[in-house]
Amino acid sequence: MPWPAATRSGNASVVQLPPHDIPTRHNSINHTAAGGQRAMMHFITALPAEARPLIEHFRLRDKCTNGGFPVYRNDGMALSVSGPGKVAAAAATASLAAQDSSRATNAWLNIGIAGHATLSVGRGILVNHISDRATGKAWYPPQLIDTNLPRCSLTTVDIPETGYAGDSLYDMEASGFFPVACRFSTAELVQCFKVVSDNREQTTSGITAQLCERLIADQLDVIEHLVQALAGFAEEHAAWHAPHPEQERLTTHWHFTVAQQHRLARLAQRWKTLLPGEPLWSKELGKLGTAGAVLLRLEQHLDSMVVELG
Amino acid sequence: MFNTIYIEEQVANHPRTRELCARFPQAARVSCQRYGEVFNPRAQNFRLQKQQPALILASKHRHRVLAAPNGYGIGSSSNYYFSHMLNCLYDCRYCFLQGMYRSAHYVLYVNYEDFGSDIDCILADNNDTDCWFFSGYDCDSLALEPVSEFTQHFLPFFATRPTAHLELRTKSTQIRSLLHREPLPNVVVAFSFTPGEMHRALEHRVPTVERRLDAMAQLQQAGWLTGLRFDPLIYQDNYREQYRRLFRQVFEHLDADRLHSVSLGTFRLPRAYFKNIVQLYPDEPLFAGAFAETCGMVSYPPELEQELNAFCTEELLRYIPEQLLFPCSLAA
Repeated sequence: MPWPAATRSGNASVVQLPPHDIPTRHNSINHTAAGGQRAMMHFITALPAEARPLIEHFRLRDKCTNGGFPVYRNDGMALSVSGPGKVAAAAATASLAAQDSSRATNAWLNIGIAGHATLSVGRGILVNHISDRATGKAWYPPQLIDTNLPRCSLTTVDIPETGYAGDSLYDMEASGFFPVACRFSTAELVQCFKVVSDNREQTTSGITAQLCERLIADQLDVIEHLVQALAGFAEEHAAWHAPHPEQERLTTHWHFTVAQQHRLARLAQRWKTLLPGEPLWSKELGKLGTAGAVLLRLEQHLDSMVVELG
Repeated sequence: MFNTIYIEEQVANHPRTRELCARFPQAARVSCQRYGEVFNPRAQNFRLQKQQPALILASKHRHRVLAAPNGYGIGSSSNYYFSHMLNCLYDCRYCFLQGMYRSAHYVLYVNYEDFGSDIDCILADNNDTDCWFFSGYDCDSLALEPVSEFTQHFLPFFATRPTAHLELRTKSTQIRSLLHREPLPNVVVAFSFTPGEMHRALEHRVPTVERRLDAMAQLQQAGWLTGLRFDPLIYQDNYREQYRRLFRQVFEHLDADRLHSVSLGTFRLPRAYFKNIVQLYPDEPLFAGAFAETCGMVSYPPELEQELNAFCTEELLRYIPEQLLFPCSLAA
């Protein structure tokens, strides 16, 4: 996808923060899953013009460039502006993932403009197949989101595409973004949403930063829906793996080796499942001298229980 | 039913592919070189995908018909299995497929004719002695019948090969295609059951015990050989009463004299699959109880397993002769 000349120039990475009093329809999402695990929504955009409507809509603030890329945040979301190209997209994704590595579950959405031979400018498309023209590699973002949005394949190219071969979108980032995001999350929580900015009739020469910003802004309802859906999946995922709230009390009280910590985590999960509401910690447990003895006691108790299904 | 259909390039023009795509015009079609590109990548979550599985149309190149593991079978020494599909419409919490595959998408191999050729080769290798072919290991044999038309293809095939025996293993009530044709003496339709309480807790999207029994009774009346599969046997509080009630219900509905075989086996999984499933469903009570590992297989502790097996065997033998009963051993 050819980037507009204005945004390929030196000022590409500068985004003006929205004034704090800008009214927005939706500002943040409660991403706290059961058990206190937090899910985080991440956006990667290539261009400041693509980022600006999102920053305003989701009231992302606190611009920070510690990781080498500008990042904007609110409580449950973060957006990084990578600059054009798949290498930049991969690097920005990895950088953002590293910054949020303590989060249990991360959802990822690459939002940007793309070209297509025939689709009309302004159409929003959910990508179901990403291929990298240079390497021939392919990825398939799982399509779990319930939406009537059109879906399409996307080819990531290294130089702007003007031929628009086949029924494919063209961009310059997705093949950098997707595989890297999948290293930090499950693929169901990693998606690409593109808005058609150019086609055979309305070529790349007509793309400006203003047009780019408007194209994304016009899709905010759709983006909101995608974010809600991804956040829902992420919360579910986080809730499944939420640790027992008292687990930390045990690890503070006794020294558990790494292997013992894994064993404890599973025993605590079993405890939560078989004895919901029953405290893991007890006076009797507190009298035990070693982590090994604690594990043994918990295991014996759980193994002696008769399971009730449903 | 499907919002996305992935299609291997090689089968894009296969008549079965064209027919299937025409049946789901709303589904987005995505071309792929090999289905493994979609099905096998690491970063996938079976549990999340199970909420909206896609259909993958592919060709099975090799290992189409395989020898069944030791300990399985219903009387014959030559046992094979084949899977025209990977994964199942249903969502049974005890199912090994959750631990075996990374993806919950349904893979449908459209090259049925190649499966047939392989079965013919095996029959020839066995000098046309009796061989059993089990079709419901990696999928449910009938659940996706309206889409796959599996029996429409394979029943005529087995009709002309009397030494080849086919087991259709299912929890489905999709029996129309069977009722619409003459029963075959070398085909057994085997239904799996757990007690109603376990069905409600563990067998998501599966027809109720009653509906399955109705379907089975209809098949019996139409002259089809039927089988009962109490596999896996599940342990839980009050299991004795629940299995006793299930067996009573089953044999009140069915004609025991028209049963081909009954098999049973306790819940068991290869260690790696068990580990994967626990990772996916750490909150599932089924996996929160006591388990033990023997020779790489995870099952209930030996004394519990023995108790469960012995109880169910004894109860079943109140209704059927011993020669009809085939226990599945853990050694498998």
